[in-house]
Amino acid sequence: MKAWLPAVALGGLLAMLALVALLALEPRAAPTAAERVDEIARGLRCPDCAGLSVADSPTSSAQEIRRQIDDLVAGGATDAEVRDHFVARYGDWILLAPASPVVWVIPFAVVVAGAAGLGAWLIARRRGVAPSPPTTLSAEERRRLHEEAEALDA
Amino acid sequence: MRHLRWLLVPLLVIPLGWLLFTGFGRDPREVASPLMGRPAPAWTLTSLDGETLSSEDLVGRPYVVNFWASYCIPACVDEHPVLAAAHEQYGDELEIVGVLYSDAPADAEGFLARYGDAGYPHLVDPDGRLAIEFGVTGPPESYFVDADGILRAKRFGPLTDALMADHLATILPSASR
Repeated sequence: MKAWLPAVALGGLLAMLALVALLALEPRAAPTAAERVDEIARGLRCPDCAGLSVADSPTSSAQEIRRQIDDLVAGGATDAEVRDHFVARYGDWILLAPASPVVWVIPFAVVVAGAAGLGAWLIARRRGVAPSPPTTLSAEERRRLHEEAEALDA
Repeated sequence: MRHLRWLLVPLLVIPLGWLLFTGFGRDPREVASPLMGRPAPAWTLTSLDGETLSSEDLVGRPYVVNFWASYCIPACVDEHPVLAAAHEQYGDELEIVGVLYSDAPADAEGFLARYGDAGYPHLVDPDGRLAIEFGVTGPPESYFVDADGILRAKRFGPLTDALMADHLATILPSASR
């Protein structure tokens, strides 16, 4: 492995982290009520269509849910309170994104565990097939080998 | 170490098999309602006959709320006689109310003229607000409310005589199973 490779990798990682921090810390204007309604509607499942959000669906129930979100936001409800209003009627099913933080962590945990397992396996394998020291033949063995080879030739 | 590897097979196969086995047994479109065991949503709506009805009028009597639509074929057609039979059999002690789900009153009247009107009221639900209160995901769906106004059972999809008897038993003491 090239000696400068870890340094380059570390530099790249630091640059990426700095970029993420910059994006996360960038000051943003508070969303308007209309933006909040749209954001909430995009996270709720349309009750009577297949795989569409309330924001994307033209059905009358989706329209009514959008109107209710509008009312709730105008009435001062927080985003979580608006979602809870619909979860109380439809259950977690109405949410397009899982509410439990555990669900978000599982894929990353599986990837990390898989990488660790693969790494451990590769290291173990490398140790296992380390080149064995060259064997030296005794004079007796050398003589027998010679004999066997001649017997084969004959 | 080598024999431990064989332990992995049942460790993977048994949970996966269990997931598949239980998963195939249920309809993925069916949504478990968080409203079970809670007070049923209250409503005041106008029926197809122009009468104003309210859940307040039903206090002290068990009732079934059946969301349906004229375009819901064949499911709503299939369950129509089941509801009519229940209305006939338990008429004195059970109320049945139909609620139109995203349907035009004229189309619903056409459906009743064609498949028979059992005589229980059908409510017009403007903008589907009551359907949202009940968490309906599409017709037909039926909700069973006991005499105390508590939601006891839900049927996603068409009712059959057997399902009707099962669900009625949760709200009606006299309903035999």
